[in-house]
Amino acid sequence: MNFDLSDEQRQLAAAAADFFASAASPSAARASLDEGAPIAPGRKAITDTGFAAITVPESAGGGGGSVLDLAVVAEQAGRVLAGPSLITAARAAVLLEGNDEWLSALADGSKSFAILDGDGGATLDATTADTFLALRDGALVVGGGTVTERSPIDATRGLADVVLDDTKVVAAGASQWARARQVAQVVLGAEGLGTASKALEVAVDYAKQRVAFGRQIGSYQAIKHSLVDAFVGVEQLRSLVWWAAWTSDESPEDLPLAAAAVKGMAATVLETTAETLVQVHGGIGFTWEHDAHLYWRRAKVDRFLLGDDVEAFDTVARLAIAGAAK
Amino acid sequence: MDFDDTPEEAAYRAGVRDYIAKHRDELMSIGEGGRRDVDLEAAKRHQALMYDGGLVGVTWPKEYGGQGGTQMQQAIVNQEVAKAGLAGFVGVIGLGMCGPTVIAHGSDDQKSRYLGRLLRGDDVWCQLFSEPASGSDLAALRTRAVKTDSGSWRVNGQKVWTTLAHVSDYGILLTRTDPDVAKHRGLTMFVVDMKAPGVTVRPLRQMSGVSEFNEVFFDDVEIPDEERLGEVGDGWRVALTTLMSERLSLGGGGTDVGTGLESAAAHVAKRIGALPEGRQALVRQEFGRQYAASLATRYTGYRQLSAISKGAMPGPEASAGKLAGTKTGRALADLGVRLLGEEGVYASTAEGDGRWQSSQAGLPGMAIAGGTDEILRNVLGERVLGLPPEPRADKGMSFNDSLKLGGTPAHAGGTQ
Repeated sequence: MNFDLSDEQRQLAAAAADFFASAASPSAARASLDEGAPIAPGRKAITDTGFAAITVPESAGGGGGSVLDLAVVAEQAGRVLAGPSLITAARAAVLLEGNDEWLSALADGSKSFAILDGDGGATLDATTADTFLALRDGALVVGGGTVTERSPIDATRGLADVVLDDTKVVAAGASQWARARQVAQVVLGAEGLGTASKALEVAVDYAKQRVAFGRQIGSYQAIKHSLVDAFVGVEQLRSLVWWAAWTSDESPEDLPLAAAAVKGMAATVLETTAETLVQVHGGIGFTWEHDAHLYWRRAKVDRFLLGDDVEAFDTVARLAIAGAAK
Repeated sequence: MDFDDTPEEAAYRAGVRDYIAKHRDELMSIGEGGRRDVDLEAAKRHQALMYDGGLVGVTWPKEYGGQGGTQMQQAIVNQEVAKAGLAGFVGVIGLGMCGPTVIAHGSDDQKSRYLGRLLRGDDVWCQLFSEPASGSDLAALRTRAVKTDSGSWRVNGQKVWTTLAHVSDYGILLTRTDPDVAKHRGLTMFVVDMKAPGVTVRPLRQMSGVSEFNEVFFDDVEIPDEERLGEVGDGWRVALTTLMSERLSLGGGGTDVGTGLESAAAHVAKRIGALPEGRQALVRQEFGRQYAASLATRYTGYRQLSAISKGAMPGPEASAGKLAGTKTGRALADLGVRLLGEEGVYASTAEGDGRWQSSQAGLPGMAIAGGTDEILRNVLGERVLGLPPEPRADKGMSFNDSLKLGGTPAHAGGTQ
């Protein structure tokens, strides 16, 4: 058994950490929220690094990598609240499988994709997109769209309502639709893992410094134990993200359950960790000027992306029950 | 990344499987190990048979009768034993904790007298650490060992929660030999003959109704100085060897706590259809959450196994698996009982199935044994997250002075 990242994946994660730490940050997320500044690092930078096209085949100008490769990069993106997401990139790469023309446009950045669930409410990465993929009458369609921005709780997710304009059919069938959404859930989980582990580090650092009643507050069990519970959650999530990413690549029959498990767990772990981050900081953690709410905003938005945790855990249960009844 | 055995591991696993299959009838003839109602002689034969197949003492050095194998091989044996549904060893405490302590700190004479018999199940061992007034705060223990004029030691005191004491031949006994120094410094470890005059073992019945552990009284029990393990006053360091070995033997490695995930799924699948629609959604929500959490614990265990396979030793982060596994195990047991509906008020169903009720009553013990949930959170917080330690009111004090701090009486009973 070798349930661990490879040396190459660790190097990839380190390279991604360097890039994202220099190109995005909570300050940048704050600027997007306060001033409507462009989301950092932005489409072009993420495309230029090749990270957005890791799972696009080499024949279409992509990296030819695995979902697990992308997941270790996505974790680093999540740590600094980077956008646009790698979720959309991964999902588009699956949807456009076999269509090298469109895949090349994804890989070289000549098209900026977003993907509509349902009729186009709250669409991830829509504000920076010019090309929309959707499921219409059982077919995968592509087209332009009218984007209506509202006031998002997290400004780094590029959320907006979208109405499709002119569309044309890319593929008559849409056999990849479900799998694309599941792979996207895995990458969403990986970004959530990064955000949660960074939020935990910020909280732990503060608990080591802040003194109350003559002691560092991290020495009190009430603080220590809530941080440990968050830590256990983060490590549990890491295991699920790795496993689910591995099933995407190597064991597709397990992907539906693994993806739902990751989606649900990422929602709850990130939410718990972000709320712990606020609580450990006390009053300062509740201010606009502190970064805590930027992580919290990500948590409050991410839990609804690609279905909420309630839907995800219901799916886990249905699949597990069906498996047991066989 | 893969979940496959290396060729060496696969060959080893095949050998383990073959041996278990070949002796299956004999190995399945005894019930669960460690229970008071266990047939001791049958349990000993079971361990001897496994020993003959090289499946006991896998990681022990060859010179002491072990196999000189790896932690990964031990994990493979654990997996195959679980898969075959075999009983645990009656020597579980001796193999996991006492034996490694004797190997690390015993004299050559002790090693040659004890280790071989321990491995084969000829002798059963117990671990005499916890006391009525020292549970989580183990180093506050009070059992006194006083050196006599003849050079031997006289022991008085009481131990508690001692698994297998009622069938044990020997135990490792942590005592206080010097109350005038700080609590960790005045301890000394011994091997005690459980059949010696003055040793009294009384069973304790757990809230589940099962009796797996005991209280043990020492009244003027004499222990020869040759049975000391380690130096006088070095007992805490010796005990840490035992506790480290315990962590290794409880290493997790992706096995489920409680009744197991697959049997929980089967139970839900069988029962859910009879519930009203709205209730089904509630059951699915709770089951889905716990199922995902259990998978996360399982794969966290696989991460540890992978690290072990590369030669790492399990560190304090292994406690995260026990914390998480206990929590989901309890939640699944609760769901299992709830699915019985009204039948859940009885100890077993009309068909005689009491698995969920037993699990419900037994799992609170998992949150206490081998480090309470609270102590594990302290360990993880301090050793892994690097948070500042708990303040200790007895820090820098001699044991005798710490007794004046007050607090709990020596034995606080729960019955009014």
